[in-house]
Amino acid sequence: MEREVIRVEDLWFRYPGSDSWALRGVNLRVSQGEVIAFIGQNGGGKTTLAKNLNGLLKPTRGRVLVEGLDTRTTPTHELVKRVGYVFQNPTHQIFESSVWREVAYGPRNLGLPPDEVERRVRWALSEVGLSGYEDHNPYDLDYGKMKLLTIASVLAMKPNVLVLDEPTTGQDHAGRRTLASLVRKLHGEGFTIIIITHDMKFVSENAGRTVLIANGQVVLDGPTRSVLQAVEVLKENAIKPPQIVQLSLELQRRGFKLDALTLQEAVEQVKKILRG
Amino acid sequence: MEPVIRVENLTYAYPTSRDFVLRNVSFEVHRGEVLAVIGPNGAGKSTLLKALNGLVPHFYGGKYGGRVVVAGYEVLKTPISVLSTKVGFVFQDPEDQMSGLALTVWEEVAFGLMMLGFPREEIPKRVEEALSYVGLKGLEARSPFELSGGQMQRLAIATVLALKPEILVLDEPTAQLDPLGKFEVLSVVKRLADEGATIVIAEHEIEEIAYFADKILLLDRGQVVAYGPAREVLASVEELKSRGVDPPSVTELAYLLSRDLGVKVPAPITLEEGVESFSKLLGGAGGA
Amino acid sequence: MPIGASLLKKTAVEADTFVQRLDGRVKFLYFIWASVLVYVFYDPVLNLVLLAATLLLAAHAKAAKPILITLLVIIVPWILFAVPILSLPLGFPWNKTVIGYIELFGRKYPVYLEGFGWGLTWPLRIAVAIASALLFFLTTNQAKLAATLFKLKFPFKVIYAVIATLQFIPLLAAEAETIIQAQTARGLRTEASVLQRIRNYLAVIIPLTLSSLNKVQVRAIALESRGFSAPVRKTLIYEARLSAADYLFLGGMLLATLLLAWVYVNIGYSPISKLPWVWAG
Repeated sequence: MEREVIRVEDLWFRYPGSDSWALRGVNLRVSQGEVIAFIGQNGGGKTTLAKNLNGLLKPTRGRVLVEGLDTRTTPTHELVKRVGYVFQNPTHQIFESSVWREVAYGPRNLGLPPDEVERRVRWALSEVGLSGYEDHNPYDLDYGKMKLLTIASVLAMKPNVLVLDEPTTGQDHAGRRTLASLVRKLHGEGFTIIIITHDMKFVSENAGRTVLIANGQVVLDGPTRSVLQAVEVLKENAIKPPQIVQLSLELQRRGFKLDALTLQEAVEQVKKILRG
Repeated sequence: MEPVIRVENLTYAYPTSRDFVLRNVSFEVHRGEVLAVIGPNGAGKSTLLKALNGLVPHFYGGKYGGRVVVAGYEVLKTPISVLSTKVGFVFQDPEDQMSGLALTVWEEVAFGLMMLGFPREEIPKRVEEALSYVGLKGLEARSPFELSGGQMQRLAIATVLALKPEILVLDEPTAQLDPLGKFEVLSVVKRLADEGATIVIAEHEIEEIAYFADKILLLDRGQVVAYGPAREVLASVEELKSRGVDPPSVTELAYLLSRDLGVKVPAPITLEEGVESFSKLLGGAGGA
Repeated sequence: MPIGASLLKKTAVEADTFVQRLDGRVKFLYFIWASVLVYVFYDPVLNLVLLAATLLLAAHAKAAKPILITLLVIIVPWILFAVPILSLPLGFPWNKTVIGYIELFGRKYPVYLEGFGWGLTWPLRIAVAIASALLFFLTTNQAKLAATLFKLKFPFKVIYAVIATLQFIPLLAAEAETIIQAQTARGLRTEASVLQRIRNYLAVIIPLTLSSLNKVQVRAIALESRGFSAPVRKTLIYEARLSAADYLFLGGMLLATLLLAWVYVNIGYSPISKLPWVWAG
């Protein structure tokens, strides 16, 4: 059993000045090494939940434990060391004139000595594939690389858990592929990753577990395969499973034994069936 | 029949750059056709779309070569304000299209009509029609900024529809939206397509556009790499993938099976076609 | 609507009192009238009367709080600063009349009436101008505001710039909040040294500025595509029309002006505190 890194206990959250609950009694356990997708319509609470995981938001009721630390009583700067959060829009973060300085911002804030900062920046840039771009102006980079830069700048803080807020939105298919391989790589290195996304294809190919959040509550939480096949519940939440899953379900209805989550699985399974 | 859009050897570079963003792009769009423009980020899709309503070159300046004729007007010689009555442009981010001058959804739609000096008596009727069409009836009194992403983008479409343009150009209209928003907006676009609107749309949601695109133009690094009927372009899986574009899953599945098994599977481009194709394929072996 | 945009959630106060219903032009005229009056009469008490009248109108319209906050931030420190500097013998040329003495650092210093009056009057004049201008902005909704400015023959693009800015302030505030969160997630600490705070400031201001500039550009493009620059006469949806309440208010202003004019002609100086009347004082 992997160790637990985040525990959410009966979390209720309300934004200041609002009289409706954004999160209602959410319970969640995240173990080391998981890759989890948070899905759901905007306004349903997935981002609110994610921001409660590193102290950016504090529970109104209930509690959140990050590696045993209670987010209500632990200073935020201690929490962000453990749970890194990459925001959706790179322009909300980038402010330095060189890639190197941008990535160094995080480690510097941690008060690390200069040689450690140097080490971390090099490491983070190589992780995302931006080695060699140290002296570039961040705004000269294309959107896909800017996204990688923001991930590198959070990675440089060496958090145990990485939250990626809509990393695929606004990206083209190649960007999505780059991101997928980065997620796989980081997963292989032991990082715990939470991805907030609307891209069901991406979820099917990269996340082992999926959590559907709607109206402030966890509606579905389980292996991606079963969540993406829960067609009725997804439909109620205006979500469509990826095309391969829809294909599988339709063919199942016609009596064929296809139960594929991804393209790769579909190819293998069809071949198997044809071989008889 | 004269095409309503004709682009001939369009070549363009922004004033701040020496690289040409578009190189010898040529294509035509006939009345009632839907052309989808696909390609990786940076290919020039946005720039190409902006060349249809005059933003390129009139707003940006830059180096311009070739010829673009839209609804009978030569873009190079026609001001944006005239072209905006013929070409309705919808951008990617719904919030950035809100004028900021309108307190209500109703006023936001009326804004465009105000800008073009439409007589006051005509405005209410057009506003009502446009809002009804996109499904925002009943929300007239709301503030535009209180709407959801999908609602706001539909509002943006309504503001453009109120002008009754001949052509609708949409630049990645669903990129910033959640699944519900994408569905809402694409439904409106499909409806417009069904009812004979002339549409040029840049999109990454390839599985969706397979349903309503007549022709597809694949752009990469400013050049036309593929241009033809949607089915043909989507079926050329290797070409698409080499340019960083993923075809619909069912299409790719058929391609991989064809390649690995040596069987010819007619390339489906939609889920329904996929179900049919694969049922037939599997019908020979396996099954209940 | 993003949270934390409570900075200026709605820039026009949404009550429905007669102040809101007054035509924009009338309120604009009130602003001009009140400002001119306090300028002509060198009289801190008259200033206070007009200030009180404006604040009363604002209170009735439920717009008093933002006005009071603005005055607190701008005017009060100004008075606290100006009065001592001008009324003590520090070189103000018109000081003549001593009204009292003050003990400082073991020495006795005279306090002069003229300096005291000056120290009070100028800030109060500005206070009246600010309060009446804010009253106009806060109680006139944007559409009526646009119609008013349009009728006053302001160029359309200027009107647009003014109104759109008001609408975008809450959006900007929400952006700022997101940026602060994004940087906090990278270790930005709010309780930190002065140097740190300057760096923090940059880490928020730069993305905010760049993001805003970008948004402004995209919006400009979207507006162009909707005929913003069309060289036709824009149709304005709202007609600014004067109602009975407007005429009554205008009548009141006229009466007050006549009264003050009579006082000036017949008494010769400010009716209230008997200070010598000074042009452009």
